[in-house]
Amino acid sequence: MPRIVREAEIDWAGTTARGSGVVRAASTGSFELPATIASRIEVIEGKTSPEELLAAAHATCYVTSLGSELARLGTPPESMSVRCTITMDEVEGAGHRIVSSHITARATAPGADVESLAAAAQAADEGCPFSALIRATATVTLDATLDEGGS
Amino acid sequence: MAADRTAHVTWSGSLMEGSGTITSVESGAFGPLDVSWAARTEDTEGLTSPEELIAAAHAACFSMALSHGLAQGGTPPEKLEVDATVTFVPGTGITKIALAVRGSVPGLDEAAFREAAEGAKENCPVSKALAAVPEITVEASLA
Repeated sequence: MPRIVREAEIDWAGTTARGSGVVRAASTGSFELPATIASRIEVIEGKTSPEELLAAAHATCYVTSLGSELARLGTPPESMSVRCTITMDEVEGAGHRIVSSHITARATAPGADVESLAAAAQAADEGCPFSALIRATATVTLDATLDEGGS
Repeated sequence: MAADRTAHVTWSGSLMEGSGTITSVESGAFGPLDVSWAARTEDTEGLTSPEELIAAAHAACFSMALSHGLAQGGTPPEKLEVDATVTFVPGTGITKIALAVRGSVPGLDEAAFREAAEGAKENCPVSKALAAVPEITVEASLA
């Protein structure tokens, strides 16, 4: 079984409060992004944050799982659109915690109906490696709908 | 105070032959970024993947937690360089995250830096969120 390794790196200068970092996709070079603590918890100002990167990871992981599940049911998708919102909150006595990930999925899958999509959406959540991890420590919620072109 | 961050992905076609795009993120800091199953599990061909994004999230979170801990301890860092490596085994899941940090921290010795790095690894919100990963390690050294 292949082991797949992906690497990223960040250089941070100064303290958390006043400093800033640049996070890079080391495996692929596909992104290089500024990040600050202010952009993480206050005003975004066009800078990314760990939570936004996790939202991108979860959306990407989930969409591939959903496509597999729809194909398994004999209704491969023509297209899918997934939005993920990660929420970090201050939890009393525990500091900042990632408390939830909410997935909104829309699929165009000819032949799929409301029930089969719901089943595929649930199975995709169970099969997505990121869902499996985050579900152990936070709440994962799903909202899946069929776009026109489905039936 | 809650902080929400949203990302949006579209995908066309099947898993193996199709492809997707991280079309936008809330901050506008990146995107569109293309993704595919082949790039996720075989040669990257310059395309990112969930695991690379997790690596980026964890590296960023850890660096913030460590710089905060060092400043609180009276030895704020001049610079931290952090690598995060995520290992994904299809069919099994994410099996390991390895963090590595090199730091320039005036007034701090190697042992204290390693201890601070262990603390940041334990306490950063991404580590807490991904606590179900079987192995999360950190190597720390002073530059």
